[in-house]
This record gives sequence, C-alpha cells and structure tokens, in this order.
Amino acid sequence: MDINSACKECKEKTRISYKYDGRFFKPKLLSINHLQLGNSKLLRNPIVLMIEWLLRQFRHLRNRLQAFGKRLFPRRSKVSCHRADSQLVGSIHFAERDQLDKPIHNLRIEFWGRTWWLQWRLLSAGYTDYDGNFSLPFELRQARNWKVIRTQFEAYQTTHVYFKNDTPTLHFERCYLELIPVSNLTGMRYNLRTINLSLWEYRRDTNVPRTKIVNVTNNAPQYYTQGRLDALYQQIVPLELIKIKHLAQIAYAPETISLQEIQTDYAENLTRCIEKKLPGYTRSDEWFGERIMNGMNRGSFLPDKNEPNIYWVKYFGVCNYEHNNEYALPTTEIKFEIQEHGFPRPLAIHLTGPTNAFHKNPWQKKIVTKSDGEEWMFAKRVARVAGGFSTEVDEHFTGTHLNTEQYAIAAYRNFRQNPLACLLFPHLKEVALINHSADKIIIHGYIPSATALTEKGIHDRTRDILGMQDWKNWEPMKVLCDQHDCARADRLFWEILVEYVEDFFEKNLTNIQLHWREVYHFSKDLVEHAVPVFLSDKDLHKLSPAERKLAEDRFEYYSFQYGFDTTATRAVVNGQLKTVSPITTAIRFEDALLDDIPNIKQACCYAIMMATYMHTWINEHQYDDMGEVLYNCGGLRFGDKERGIMAPESDLGIAPDLTRSTQMLWLTNLLSRTEYGFITKNEEGDVNPVFSKLLLAKREEFEKLGVDVHAIESRTNI
Amino acid sequence: MPKGVSIPKAIWIWLGEVVDKIVLWIYAKSFALLIAVFVSLRGRQRMSHNNGVAGEGWLKIVDDPEFPEHPFFEKGRQFPIRIRHASATFLDDAMNCIRSISLKFSHHHWKSPFDIEMNTGAQSLFWNALSFLKFAAMRQEKWGVEYVEYMRRYPDGVSGSEGALRRDPISFHNLHYYSKTPFLYLGTDGIKRYAKYRVMPADDEKETGIGTKFSSFDLPNQRVLPFETRGRNFLKYEYMERVEKLGARYRLQIQLRAASDDDDPEVFNNMVIWDDRIYPWVDLAYFNIEKVLDWKESTMTTFSVNNMPKTLGVLPAKSIYDYNSLNYMRSHSEIARKARWLSYKIYGMVPPIPDNDNRNNAEWGK
Repeated sequence: MDINSACKECKEKTRISYKYDGRFFKPKLLSINHLQLGNSKLLRNPIVLMIEWLLRQFRHLRNRLQAFGKRLFPRRSKVSCHRADSQLVGSIHFAERDQLDKPIHNLRIEFWGRTWWLQWRLLSAGYTDYDGNFSLPFELRQARNWKVIRTQFEAYQTTHVYFKNDTPTLHFERCYLELIPVSNLTGMRYNLRTINLSLWEYRRDTNVPRTKIVNVTNNAPQYYTQGRLDALYQQIVPLELIKIKHLAQIAYAPETISLQEIQTDYAENLTRCIEKKLPGYTRSDEWFGERIMNGMNRGSFLPDKNEPNIYWVKYFGVCNYEHNNEYALPTTEIKFEIQEHGFPRPLAIHLTGPTNAFHKNPWQKKIVTKSDGEEWMFAKRVARVAGGFSTEVDEHFTGTHLNTEQYAIAAYRNFRQNPLACLLFPHLKEVALINHSADKIIIHGYIPSATALTEKGIHDRTRDILGMQDWKNWEPMKVLCDQHDCARADRLFWEILVEYVEDFFEKNLTNIQLHWREVYHFSKDLVEHAVPVFLSDKDLHKLSPAERKLAEDRFEYYSFQYGFDTTATRAVVNGQLKTVSPITTAIRFEDALLDDIPNIKQACCYAIMMATYMHTWINEHQYDDMGEVLYNCGGLRFGDKERGIMAPESDLGIAPDLTRSTQMLWLTNLLSRTEYGFITKNEEGDVNPVFSKLLLAKREEFEKLGVDVHAIESRTNI
Repeated sequence: MPKGVSIPKAIWIWLGEVVDKIVLWIYAKSFALLIAVFVSLRGRQRMSHNNGVAGEGWLKIVDDPEFPEHPFFEKGRQFPIRIRHASATFLDDAMNCIRSISLKFSHHHWKSPFDIEMNTGAQSLFWNALSFLKFAAMRQEKWGVEYVEYMRRYPDGVSGSEGALRRDPISFHNLHYYSKTPFLYLGTDGIKRYAKYRVMPADDEKETGIGTKFSSFDLPNQRVLPFETRGRNFLKYEYMERVEKLGARYRLQIQLRAASDDDDPEVFNNMVIWDDRIYPWVDLAYFNIEKVLDWKESTMTTFSVNNMPKTLGVLPAKSIYDYNSLNYMRSHSEIARKARWLSYKIYGMVPPIPDNDNRNNAEWGK
C-alpha cells in the first residue's frame, strides 16, 4: 500500500472528534476533583445515579427559581440619586500577606439598597482608582428612605468576555459583599476601611508563578464553564471504566491481563493504525524523522555549526535534577540531515548518561548510527521516549500550561477597563484550573511514578524551562524544507494572529492608551513574578567542566528552541534577572516609549499563541505519538539486564509496567479527547468573531498542512 | 405650588416635611430627656464639658465696625461678660482634649441676652443631628480612649478631631475657638445673612497644642502622656494665675455671608469652612477677663443658644439630616440644664477635680 495514502487514511481514521452525549444510567463523574490516577470516583450504582439525577433536577429547579427571582426583582442600572450629599469611601487591596498594601485598581463597585418588598435600588456605582481607593457618592435620603430595609456594598471582578456581533461584553461576578446598617449612614463620608480580597493570588509554595486555588469547584478565582465540565464528564467515563477494569485485573488477577490487551482496549491510535497497514513503517527512519519534525514533538532543528544541511534535535535527560534509579532518561541528541525535499533523515543518536542499572556514570556517552544494526532501532526508541518526555514536560506543560498561566494571573489581576481584557481573557481562562488538576494527577501522581524524575525534579526542571520563555522577539520556527508542515502551520497561524491583534489594536487604541496604567501593572506583575533566566542565578564557575558544558549546551539549545532573545533587556528584581521582558515601564501613556505599543501587541500575540495553537498542536498529537506503549512512553525502566534500555520492544522488563501503561493511555486519551472550547466553534460565544473569520478564511491552507482549524482550541483547559 | 408639581405630589411632599420635623423634634427631645435623666440628674454632669474654669470681665463692641450694622452689636457698646473655658469629656487637663470657650454677655450664671459656645478647631466632629447621635452612641470610652469605631467609620469625624484636639496647650487663653455652626444675622439693613463667630487672643499670641503628626489608628487615644509631670488641673491653675497677674484679653470676630434662596445646603455644614478670602473674619468686639470665678460658680454657669436676640439666633432646621439640626438640638436641651441644677439642689455641688494621680479620668470625685 502507498505510504502516503496509508498515513492519510490512518490520520483521518484516528482523528479525534468531540461528541458530548450521555445516557441516563451511564456512569457519571461527579466533579473534576474526583479524577484520579487510580480509581476516579464514578457513580455507577443505579440508585446512586437516581439520587444524582434528583439532585441535578433540584439544582436545575433552584437555578430556575433564582433566575425567576432575578426577573421578578431585577437589578436596574438606573442610579437613585438626585443630589449626592454623602459618600461611601474605602480602599480595596489584595489579601496576600505580603501584598496587603497593594491596591486592586479599576474594580467595579456598587452600592445597593433593598426595599421591604425586595426590589433593588442602585444607590451608586463606580470603580476603584489606581490606588485602590473609592468614593461612591450617593444621596443620604435615598439610602435612608423608609422603603429601604437594608443596604449593601458589592465589588465585582471581570470573569468572562462574550462577543455579540463583534462587540465584546464584559461579564462581572460579585466577589465581595458587605451589608451596611442603614443607621450607620449619617451623611458626609462613611468609611468601609480597607477591604482585602483574595483575587488571583500568587501561590507562595511554588518556585514558578502559579495561581492560588483552594478548591477548583468552589474556592478558586474562576471556575470551569458548565459546557466544559459536561464535555469532560461525558468523554471521560468510557476511558475511566477501561482503566478501572485494568487496575482491578492487575490487583486481583494479574495473570489475566497483558500489555497487549491493555493496548487493545483503548482506541487505536495513529501508529497502531499505520502498523496494521504498513508493518514496520512506524519504526522506520522516515517515520522517525517525520514525527520528530511534524508530530507531537515539533522538533527544533538546530543547525550544526560546521556542516551544512546537518541539524540537531536535543532532548536533555535527568541533567542535575532529582531522579529515581528505576527509570532511564539519558540526554539524547539526534543528528539529522535535512535536504530541501523529503523528511529529516536521522544519521546518529548520541546518548549521554546511564542506559542500564549497572553503570551509573552520568557522563558516559554512546553514539549509535544506522550501521549499528538493531541497536539503531533501540536507540530510536530511546530517542522517542526522551522526546516524548521532554515534549510533555518542557514544551507542553511548561511551555504552554505554565507559561500561559503566568500571563493569565497577571491579566486577571490587572486588566479591567482596558480593552485588552476583551482580547486576552477568552484565551487565558481556565488554564489555572487545569494546571491545578495537573499538579495532582500528573506532577504529583503520574510523572514521579512513571518517569525518571521525582516531583522535586519536575518542579526544578519546569522552573528552568520557564526561564527560557519570553515574549520578546519570539517568532515561530523557520521552515527548513518543503515537508516542514509544522513550521508552515505555525507561521500561518502566527500571521493570522498578528493580523487579528493589529486589527484589535486599531479599533481600540484610544481606550488602550486611556487605561495604560493597567498595562503597566500587568507588565509589572508579569516581570516581578517571573522566574529568573535559566542559569542566571547559578555560578557556572562552581560547576565541573562537564556540568558547565551541559548547562551551556542547554542554554544554547533552549534559546533556539524557544526563540529566547538573549540580547533583550531584562529587569532585575530582588537580585534576579527576570525571564519575561518588561512591556512598559511607563505608568501613563504620555510617558510610554515608542516600543511600548509594539511590545504589548507582541506580548498579546505570544500569550494567545501559547494558549491556543501551540497547546493544541501538542495536545492533539499526543495520542498519535504516545498512544502505543511499546512505541513511545513516558519512561523506560533500566531493567535488570546488562543491555538496559538498549533492548527490543519485546523486552517488557524495560517497558512501563501494566499499571503505568494503562495510566499513560488513560492520560493521553483524557488529554486528547476531552477538549472543549474551540476558536471557530466558539461554543460559548467568547471568542472574537473576527478571529474566527480570519482563521476560517485560511481553512484550506491549514488542511493542506494537516491542521483542522476547527480543532484549534481557544484556550488551554485540558 | 412649584410648577410641574401635581396636587397629590405637593401634598405628599408637604406631608414628608411635616414628618421630618416631627422626627427631628422627637430626636431632640428624647436625647435631651436621656441626658437629663442619666447624665444631669444622676451624674450631676453636663453632657461633655465638665472640666472648666469661669471668669468675668467686660466686653466692648469695636468702635469702627467692618460688619453691617446691627442694633445688638452697636459700635462701642459695652456688656458685662462671663466666660467659661473647658476641656471636653475628661477631668484631666493634661489629656489630649478639645478645648472650649463659652461666652455670656452677662455676669449672671444663666440669664443673658447673648450666649455663644465655641470649641477649638474650625470643623466639628459631626454635622447633623443624626451624626451627632451616632457620635454620642459610639463613644465607648475606656481608660481615656474613646470613639474608636467612630474614627474608623467616619473620616470627616477624624479630620474634625485632628483639627480640634489640643495636647499640652500653654494656656486656654492662646487657643482659637470657633462656633462652627452658622447663625442668623439680620442687620439693620434687613438683609438676611449667616454668621459664624470665633475667639482668639487679642494680641495675636501664637496658638499652642495643635497636633501635627496623627496616627492612622491611635487618634482615639487621648490619654495623658507617659511621664507627664503636670497635674490634672494645670491648665485651670495657669489661667487663674494669668488672669490675676496679666489679665486675659480676647478678641471676638465674626464671619458673615449673605443668604440666598438657592443656597447650597453645604453652606450650613459646619464641616465646610467658608473661604475667608471671600468671607473675611472681622473684629466684632474685645473683652477682658478680670477675675476667675470659684468652682461652684464655674459649675453653675450655663450657656444656651436660646439666649440670643431673634435676629441673631438659631437657623431653622427641617430634618435630622439638616445641618442646622445641631443647633436645633442644642436649643431643645433646656431640660438637661434644669435637671443638672436640680441635681445640685438634691445631691449638692460636685466636688472640684482633685490634684491626685488618678489620671485619664472622666468620673467625678475620683
């Protein structure tokens, strides 16, 4: 069978589609908090399902009553005030213990009265100023009118943006309520003192900027939309049942289950499909090169310093991170030859580090080429695994999830009246929530048990990688050959994004300038909470020559891989050279430099790019490249043989064990099949239609590059 | 009836005004009654300014008045005068207190054609009957600390307090005192005006005791400073000696502004200082205090806003929110004064404040 048509057929067949439906007695996941690496808490008992149904009906009824109540007692925007002779004053600050004097600016605040017959009267409305202070003028006689039974002060945070016919509407949710006894209002000013709000706080227990979330369902700065949860719950159940079955069999009757059976129970992925049609092809050099270039890995091909047409793809292993002694993760450097036509051709694979349980010298080197026979196959597998691990941890989790989260926190903390809220919020929402879940399931759960790094090792590694993520002068990777679809697609999306952002700025420049101070604070938060530049806080002279070389190699490669501009001017905060470049240092637009507008444009493009396209690419291709355990996995065990990980796929002693295998397939399915929130589908009406239109206009061009525009997510929420 | 207002609407408005006035009357009378029973009769006390010293002398209206002619303030006219200086609230001169002077154009302890009460600071700590009652209710004094919650909630009370408190003044004499609330001034020309009064030393002696650095949370702390060496009555003793040796000469000034039909209610707000570039202060009279009265006479001396000519009296108030309601309440507090005198007759005169070490005190006889 023709290779191209076989691949095309399999890509079509294994393309993930997103259908959300569920029958009544189908097991249900009650909440995202109940997702676990082991047995997630599913409701399966019919009686429990009935009760759950009744509970849902009750909630439905309650919601309808509340909606009815809102219609019956509407909150009108007309302010009841003929002559303001009194004021509510106070200030609103953050609640973090070292930020008690940091003001929350431009927060919407309202002063309401409620009558005896439960009607609402708006007595005053306004915003906090940039010092967090507010002064709400109101009429004393209106507030103390005999009809008014109680008065209350409310503060609102901007949670969502919705678009109707290109016009954005900000959606506010109340984040603070204080009842004010009417008897306390005596005229002149009434001081509500300093109100401290826990609003998009930074965690204090992490070495990277993360949002403080106590509970993702009821104590978080934002929540998943119901649509997102429904999609997740409905899609996850079949996968969960498969995993539960496997785990039960492993626990009680391990002889009844094998890796093959585990693999077969899950949906067929791209590599298995192709193997069926073209046995051996997915282990070939051609496929290897193609997937490194255009698969999940989206490899960064660093040109060789000396030889033309020679490139290197590097996956750094355990390095100096805390690791276990069960899994191998050598540094893997793959030498490719790339001609103008055709896929990258692997020439050699350099492995640095232990490949078996006996020889643990971290600097031992092994170079494998095609002439080494079956060792070449083993080395390619090791490279795939190293690539899979690095892509998942470095590019996926750090480069998109954590990277996007730092922009999300800074944006939600600071953008309120600036139109940039409308530009960024639709794409930055929910990332903090999914990262919170990832902490439990992946960082604390799967990775330390199924790969070489411990949890601490992962934390240190993600901090280092985040130290190479900066918006300044970032560009998508260059196209190296006519098969480089990944780079072409990157560039195409970037062009659309830049056009969209330029258009947005053109329409909203006046208000962006008017509320420039929000941009200043956004930049300040981003920079101050950023991690230090990789290696900037280390004394390289204290390292051994080998360690220093590794560090320098990593810095060089990461700079290339992540488009990190080493010449950019960065801020030093508390003695640390911060990774994220300042966007502006001007509080007022009148004092802004010429570069500041281009800076904020580029920062917005970068944040949206990471949150949408970059995340989608890796997420979408995960199951293609990590949906077959023996082909690729999170980590290979050393095993107990001399050959270690340089062994055939048939050696199950080095492959993930049964538990890790089913967990890995569950995870990759979970991450690939439960997506919700796409730019073109715009399920919640929160994506700017202009963006959708621009993307749809290039649909065919994307299709030629193997990208379905309808599958590009509008945010990182899985 | 205003144009565009229907009859039912007009009736409704009128009814509202009547209700407002009834409520104000009830507030004023109830408060006066409470003070009369629980403070005056039981405690033999004034509401606040118990710690004071009175003196007598003579007042003369200036010979070249710069203010519109008024039959009561005829140029060169002389009056007997009795004054009483006091420190508000506490019975210890060394505490951080608001100081006062009250004037009576008479040598009688009560009868007088003109009385005026003034305190230090150009602004008050409350602005209408409602806020005054809130102020009274939120005193919650303990060991020389008071109005903690009031200061937290009412920033205008804070600014009034910062302007009014005097710690360690050298003398009552060199302080500046303000009436704060405006009064009527209907001169010979028949033009209605509003008037505010102030008293200061005649020789422009510099005012002492003014605070400059205020704590954002410790303002309610009016306690005597640690290691204070002066006694509880030092300010009164100083005044006695001053009057005996040097005499005490003051000037009484007046600030006037013309009344208009469309006056902003803020004109009557005692928290709003009239701009003295537009409404300058001019000398009304000078007075000398020649002798200090004893404790009994000082305690008996009483002042009332009702002791004013009709053309100089209290402005009418319409509701408890009205800024003129403060003077309305003052004018309806006769019962408290009478209750205090009755208490002296029944229980005897209150004892003078002892020179003991019981500092930060607000209670008699201790």
